[in-house]
Amino acid sequence: MPRSNYQHQIVNPASSPRHRIKILQNVVLVALAIIAVRLFFIQIIEHDYWVAKADEEHTILETISAKRGEVYMMDHDEPVAVVLNQTTYQVVIDPTVTKKDDIKPALEKYAKDYIAADIDKVYNTEGLRYSIVAKNVPRDVIEQLADLELPAVWFKKINQRVYPEGELASSMLGFVNAEGKGQYGIEASLSDVIGGKDGLIKSTADVNKVALSIGNDNIKIPAEDGKNLVLSIDRGLEQGVEKITKKHIDETAATHASALVMDPNTGEVLAMANLPNYNPAEYGSVTDAAVFVNQITEVPYEPASVCKSFAFSSAINEGVMTADTTYFNQGYEMVDGWKIRNAEQRSSLYGTIDMRKALYWSLNTGSIYALKLLGGNPSQITQQGREKLYDYYHNKFRLGQATGIELYEAEGFIPDPNEGWGRDSVYANMTFGQNLGITMIQTATAYSAVINGGTYRTPTIIKGELKDGEVIPLETTSEAIPKRIEDKILKDETSTMMREMFVNNRDYKVKGGIDRPGYTIGGKSGTAQVIKDGSYDDTMSETVGTYIGFVGPNGELPKYVIMVKMLGEGQYLDGTIASSLFDDISNYLIDYLKIKPGN
Amino acid sequence: MALGLIIIYAIGPMRANVLNSTYGSNYDSNYFFLGQLRAVILALIAFFAAFKWVPYKYIKKYAKPIMIVALLLSALLWGLSLMHSPLAKCELGECRWFQFGPISFQPAELLKLAMVIYLADFLARKREEGNIGKWQEFWLPLLIVCGASLFLVVIAQGDLGTGVALISIIFGSLLIAGVPAKQYLIMVALVLAVAVGAIATSSHRMERIDAWMTTLSGGESSDSTYHIENAMLAIGTGGLAGVGIGNSVQATGYLPESINDSVFAIMGETFGFIGLFLILVVFGAILIRMLKVAEGTKDTENRLVVIGVFSWTLAQVVVNIMAMTSLVPVTGITLPLLSYGGTSMVFIAFALGLVLQLSCYTSREVTTNEDISSRGRLGGTHYTSRRRSPRNSREKTSRRG
Repeated sequence: MPRSNYQHQIVNPASSPRHRIKILQNVVLVALAIIAVRLFFIQIIEHDYWVAKADEEHTILETISAKRGEVYMMDHDEPVAVVLNQTTYQVVIDPTVTKKDDIKPALEKYAKDYIAADIDKVYNTEGLRYSIVAKNVPRDVIEQLADLELPAVWFKKINQRVYPEGELASSMLGFVNAEGKGQYGIEASLSDVIGGKDGLIKSTADVNKVALSIGNDNIKIPAEDGKNLVLSIDRGLEQGVEKITKKHIDETAATHASALVMDPNTGEVLAMANLPNYNPAEYGSVTDAAVFVNQITEVPYEPASVCKSFAFSSAINEGVMTADTTYFNQGYEMVDGWKIRNAEQRSSLYGTIDMRKALYWSLNTGSIYALKLLGGNPSQITQQGREKLYDYYHNKFRLGQATGIELYEAEGFIPDPNEGWGRDSVYANMTFGQNLGITMIQTATAYSAVINGGTYRTPTIIKGELKDGEVIPLETTSEAIPKRIEDKILKDETSTMMREMFVNNRDYKVKGGIDRPGYTIGGKSGTAQVIKDGSYDDTMSETVGTYIGFVGPNGELPKYVIMVKMLGEGQYLDGTIASSLFDDISNYLIDYLKIKPGN
Repeated sequence: MALGLIIIYAIGPMRANVLNSTYGSNYDSNYFFLGQLRAVILALIAFFAAFKWVPYKYIKKYAKPIMIVALLLSALLWGLSLMHSPLAKCELGECRWFQFGPISFQPAELLKLAMVIYLADFLARKREEGNIGKWQEFWLPLLIVCGASLFLVVIAQGDLGTGVALISIIFGSLLIAGVPAKQYLIMVALVLAVAVGAIATSSHRMERIDAWMTTLSGGESSDSTYHIENAMLAIGTGGLAGVGIGNSVQATGYLPESINDSVFAIMGETFGFIGLFLILVVFGAILIRMLKVAEGTKDTENRLVVIGVFSWTLAQVVVNIMAMTSLVPVTGITLPLLSYGGTSMVFIAFALGLVLQLSCYTSREVTTNEDISSRGRLGGTHYTSRRRSPRNSREKTSRRG
């Protein structure tokens, strides 16, 4: 159109202004028409495409961090906090913008104790745009600094776990790492319970990813805060047990020791000590990662003669043996061509002795005899004996299986009664706690069943949840908090007979004035050889000492089960050494819990 | 202008927020609104000054001096920027403003107005002398003045947008001045050749062309396509009726230059197709009305002034909107009367006031009574009433013709 008008204009120069204005008019109309069509195309036809694209670019997804639950222990009947949350701040500066003459005096005036960097050095480092100059600064100090309105000074919020009890029960509590993830202990195993559930914000945001109020499909799912957990652990008892255990490490050749106190009638753990400890607030400075590991639940070992408790109670419960059953002790036993010897070889023990005496002196020949009786043949180990022992160990006492305590656990193992070479010798060893791998918590839980009247109860470290100042039971969830088992596995008489033998074991402690009158205290020691170069080290140059027992006032069922383990690389630590740790803990426990003596 | 004010009011705080958080600056949330309000008031004063208080016959006496002052100011700015003087305000490496304390001034805007007035005066004179199309009397001085202007704007200030507006003014005026068609076409070809050369030799202009082609063909996004993509995104999300005032998301920092060059896109998001269509209709009406005024003006010089302002407005409107809709590559150019930017609004308002004054001259020649009544109504300053006025004059004019 414009072109033709223009041509026309050349022919008629006289009328040029009017015609040329017409050209311009057409230019306007054509240009605006093109724009209008274009707009229609973008805004109407392509509208959905652009809206989808805008959603993609404008929407932010942001998690709202759930508040982590606090952790409490019991102080007798009152819950006391042992893990708390604290919000502190880091002061961050951009040295190229923030003036040194502003920030340095300000920090020295208000936050002197929190300065975390050499300010002069920060300003002498070229190209530095980000520097943390103060750490762990409380909020009130930050407010003072913020009032100064210094340029390029930021305050970074840090949510921190605080451990008012320091190293106490560290391997059981665990810690929270810099990313806010629970590591080891209940911080890891109960992370879902304590950690809560993060919320979500889906929102339209500006170019700096700051959420805007505009937009109509903004979603906000609030965070579910973590639960405040109350442990069954008694703080004072834990402190005392740890102190005593540490003293025994210092006084013996042991480098590591663990101690466990639980209520055999409920399965509640009252103290769980693994020493040496570490400070969860300074987990980063730990050099030996082994201290993070809970020796009581995560490390299977051979508790040695302590397991005679299980072999004996199996035979007694089957009705094939009593404390008064006798056998001929010749100091050793030949099984599968192996000579299995007693540790105690005094001549007065040779000949016919009863099972009570065999347990007292912890004779391996005695527990092997119990296995023979289980198999129905007093002169040899049979398949039936092995299968019966396996049934008791694995299925009733649940050894070699995770107990279900609310901590990370190792399963360990109980050898199969029929598969593999040399089963008789393996099973003979199992009666005195070798050739198997079980954890302390498995052992103590099974032992609780032996002495509490015969009921197996899943151990627990949880008392409940603290809500509005009240301790209420925690809901069982499939994974973190499994349903607890209560299973009557032994007859009352079996339990009574076992208790009587355990008390008899400590006869010399009573006579020595260690066990106080008025209390029923029983126990069993264990000294485990360590496997060196594929077989048991008969020189006994390194052994692990274990002791397990119970305490209660006379005339009542035992109230507490105590188990201790002591070890040191290359060191001989036997059940006797472990027993004196037990003695100190049991006496402390009587005092601390003010257990009144019975008649 | 009122629409521009509303938009700036709605998105100004967002812009301030974006700048503050990105550059650590400290703009008040009303900073841009108050700036725009100040510009609008100044623009209204300029408009009335041009319309009522300063007769064009006085202005045209100073056509040449004004042009010289405009050129000198641009040259001075260039000199200052070369010396890195704080009086020259630079953004993104292009120095286009004088800065005196809180007041900034863009001499290129004055240059556009000066070009309109100078060309009207020059071309009318040459036409009277019968020198149109002659090399020495006509083309040589013209080329010197226009060449110097374009050099100062496009090369020295890197302002391609103003360059496009200047070229539009020059060719609009030349067309109506009656330059022989052959010569006119040669000049068009010449300018096109220079333009292509200028683009091909400048990497950042090539980048813009490249970005434009990429967006048109739906290619991969990149940093250089960011501006145009986000302009399209703003317009596209507006849909038929828009998201409403204050609900623009693109204005929260996604779209660069959201309050000045890209304000049309934000309006598209806010008011939708309906709103943009109405804006187009209003601009179309203003432009067509100016042509009618030009047609009705008997005096050659007056007509050329009107055409100059028309060409100026047309270039700004069409190039700005076409850039926002990816029809042409992005060139930094403001949308008349709507964009944030004091100098450009004041000068375009002054230019429009001038057109209105000239339209009144034509009608005054016809019937004095009618004219007085129409001028009275113009006091309302609405476009609608202004459109009404020339309609009266056209009726009279056509009756005369």
